[in-house]
Amino acid sequence: MRPETSVGIIGWGSYIPRWRLPLSEIAKLWGFAPETPRGLNVVEKAVAGRDEDAVTMGWEAARNALLRAGIDPKEIGAVWFGTESKPYAVKPSATIIAEALGITPDTMATDLEFACRAGSEALRISIGAVASGLVKYALVIGSDTAQANPGDILEFTASSAATALITGPAREAAAVFEASYTYVTDTPDFWRRAHQPYPLHGEGFTGEPAYFHHIVSAVKGLLEQTGLKVDDFDYAVFHQPNGKYPLAVAKRLGFPKEKVLPGLVTPYIGNSYNSSALIGLSRVLDIAKPGQRILLAPFGSGAGSDAYSIVVTDKIIEKQDKAPRVDDYLNRKYLIDYATYAKFRGIITRIR
Amino acid sequence: MRFSIPRYWRERHSHYRLYAKKCSKCGRVNYPPSNICRYCGSTELEDYYLDREKAKIISWTIIYPAPEGFEEQRPRIIALLETLETKTRIIAPLTDILPEEIKEGLIVEPVLRRIKEDREAGLIHYAIAYRPVIGSIGTNKQ
Repeated sequence: MRPETSVGIIGWGSYIPRWRLPLSEIAKLWGFAPETPRGLNVVEKAVAGRDEDAVTMGWEAARNALLRAGIDPKEIGAVWFGTESKPYAVKPSATIIAEALGITPDTMATDLEFACRAGSEALRISIGAVASGLVKYALVIGSDTAQANPGDILEFTASSAATALITGPAREAAAVFEASYTYVTDTPDFWRRAHQPYPLHGEGFTGEPAYFHHIVSAVKGLLEQTGLKVDDFDYAVFHQPNGKYPLAVAKRLGFPKEKVLPGLVTPYIGNSYNSSALIGLSRVLDIAKPGQRILLAPFGSGAGSDAYSIVVTDKIIEKQDKAPRVDDYLNRKYLIDYATYAKFRGIITRIR
Repeated sequence: MRFSIPRYWRERHSHYRLYAKKCSKCGRVNYPPSNICRYCGSTELEDYYLDREKAKIISWTIIYPAPEGFEEQRPRIIALLETLETKTRIIAPLTDILPEEIKEGLIVEPVLRRIKEDREAGLIHYAIAYRPVIGSIGTNKQ
C-alpha cells in the first residue's frame, strides 16, 4: 500500500484578482509584433490590485478551501505557503495567513521556494505528514504576484492568482491520491538573484531541457510506478507558463486536447506561477465527477516536476458549491490599461 | 518606523478577523469588543469574529486627500456597513470597486488586504476590507 492512498483533498479553492490587462497593451507599449499574444495563446493576464499581494490572495484561496473542507481551522496542523513573490524577504507569509484564518498557534507554518513548484512540493510533503499521522489536516497554498522585467517577453504572461488545497484522511476526501512522483535536476532555465526586482531566463532554454524534459520524465515515472496508462485519466493538468506548452506536452505524452482544456486557465489569466497548475486542478475539481481520475503535473524552474494521480470520490459533489468556483473568478473581471497595471504592480518608482 | 509595531501586533485579531464580543444575554455584537455589553449592560459576552458575515452598504464617502501611508490607494472609499446576520454596524474600507459602482444596499464581503505599509522597509499592515460579492458587479469587457 502506497502512503498516498491514505490521503486526499478535503477542500480546495482559488482566487483571481478582478483586474485584467489585455496583452495587446504590452505589445503596443513595448513594440512587439501584434500577433505575439496569439502565439502564446494568452489573451489577458490577471493583475493584483494595489492592496493585494501573495499573502492576501493566498488568504482568500485558503478561505475558499476551508469553506469546502468544512473543518475547524484549529484542526489544521501545517500551513505551507509556496511562492516566489513573498511580501517579506524575511518573515513568514504562512504565519500571517494562519493567524488571519484562526489556525494559530498550534500548527507548523513555513514558506517554501522552488520557483513555480514550491506549492507542489508542499503538497507532496503534506501527503507524507498526513499519511504518517503527524498532522490531521495540512493547508497547502500556491500564490504569486509574478514579476517580469518590463518589456521582456515574460511580461506577457507573468500574472497573479492563488490556489489552496487542504489535505487530510482519504475517508473524508473529495479526491484521493493514488500515487505521486518527483523528478528534479539542476537546470538553470529561470532565476532571480538576491535584491534583483525581476527574474531572468534562458529564452528557448526554458522549453526543451526544462519544462518538457522534467514534466515528461515525472509523468513517465508515475505511469511506470503505477502501471497506469494515458487512457486511464479523464483529465490532465500541467504547469501552464503559456497557453501553448501544456497542449504540446500533452500531445507528446499522448493526452488528447479535450482532457487538457478543462484545466487550462492560463489563456484567460496568464501564468500565475505557484498557482499555475494548481488552479487548473482547482477548476477540474469544480466540475469533476466521482470515479474520474486526474493527472496533475506542476513544474518549477531550476528545475523539477511532480506527477500525481488523483481519483475523485462521491464526496466531491457536496463540496463543489460551497465556495466560489474558478469560473466565477474568471468571469469577475475589469480591463485596465498599462498605466494602471504599472501602478498596481509597483513598476512606477516613487519616493516613499 | 512611523507606525507602532506593538500596537499593530496587539490589534492583529481586530485587523485580520474583526474580533468582537457577542452578548450572551441580548445577542448583540459589540464592535469594537467590550467586556460590558453597551446595549444591555450584561457582563456575559463571548468572542465573536465579524469576518464570517457578509454586509450591506448603508452609506459611504470618497476621500481624495490621502493620509500618510495611503498615497497609492487614492481615492480611499470608506463605507458604513451593516452585517447581514447580526446587523452589526461597522466602518470599513471598500476595495475592488470603482466609485461609480457603489450603491446603497450593495452586498459586500470581507477580504484580507494590505491596508498600509511603513515606507519601503517597515511592516506591511494587513486588515479586513470589503468588496462586492463575486458576481454582483459588472465588467467593462468589450
